[in-house]
Amino acid sequence: MNTGELVARLLASEVRGDILALFHRNPGIIDTLEGVALRIGKRAESIEEDIKDFVDLGILRARRIGNSKVLSLNRERDRETQQLLAEHVKNSSAGSSEQP
Amino acid sequence: MSRTRTGIRELDDMLRGGFLEGDAVLVAGSAGTGKTTLALQYLVNGITQFRERGIYLTFEQLPTQLYRDAESFGWDLRKLEDENKLRLICTSPNLLQETGGEENILTEPIREVQPQRIVIDSLSHLAMYTDEKDMRKELYRLIMLLKARSLSSLLIWEANQMAGQSLHISDLGSSFLVDCILLLKHVEIESSIRKALVVLKMRGSDHDKRLREFEITPTGVNVSAPFTQYEGVLTGSPHRSLTEEAANNWALAFGKNKQKHS
Repeated sequence: MNTGELVARLLASEVRGDILALFHRNPGIIDTLEGVALRIGKRAESIEEDIKDFVDLGILRARRIGNSKVLSLNRERDRETQQLLAEHVKNSSAGSSEQP
Repeated sequence: MSRTRTGIRELDDMLRGGFLEGDAVLVAGSAGTGKTTLALQYLVNGITQFRERGIYLTFEQLPTQLYRDAESFGWDLRKLEDENKLRLICTSPNLLQETGGEENILTEPIREVQPQRIVIDSLSHLAMYTDEKDMRKELYRLIMLLKARSLSSLLIWEANQMAGQSLHISDLGSSFLVDCILLLKHVEIESSIRKALVVLKMRGSDHDKRLREFEITPTGVNVSAPFTQYEGVLTGSPHRSLTEEAANNWALAFGKNKQKHS
């Protein structure tokens, strides 16, 4: 997957942006799906698929604590993604400024 | 006895050098008394002055709010996190009670940061998610978990008490389970709201029993002199106490009166 595709997948919807912003601004969140949903004013079922995709991409980590499945930010992967995003934004703006 | 210093000199003096190492300390007070500021300062001073790393576990505030609030005191929590000296964890109360399996919510952060200090903000929030009859057992379990990891802990308790109301020890929940109780309180004196703190209990150590005024300054908590001129501050209805001079005058007058009639 190239950077453009990754960015498109990460920011495919407003709720995805909300989830990413929540974890990026608060990297210490360790919570259940319900807890994460609550913190962005949503219901668990409405963000379940997006969360699953972020786990597949390695942005979020899912693990079991007792009887609960918890989610947390993969800080290393988040740093890499932020770098990719920054480069993507830089290249995009450079590309657009070259256009006549 | 090893002490865990708060780095707030006057408070450490009140505690005869600091909290006892590994103790569970309850910091109780109503909203706006400075519990979070005191707790953050305890962790930041631990890192910057005593080389003791820390964890701040919050159920209520998002870390981003804590970063911002700490910044106003000149404490860069993000930097301390980047240096792996501090970890802010934001979670739901029920997850702290998940003890089945190999891991609990603190296992990974403790492994990564190797802390000596921890703040739990707050027990009152934890109590909201726990049956009253189970709270004592859950609190005992939590304190034992922290002690087993040799962590010196500050446990925050938000008391429903305003200036002008007295606070009973029973308002502090399962206060008998903790080793030390630090009470922060609003008091109304001459039509202005001031802050007071007192060490209500300190197991295994002498401590200052006097109620002291404190302020939240741009650099954090600043504890000042005891309220020597007032009585009844803890009840919420303080009144000027007799000064020493006035008391001496009474004694003198009484003595003279006695001589006159003898």
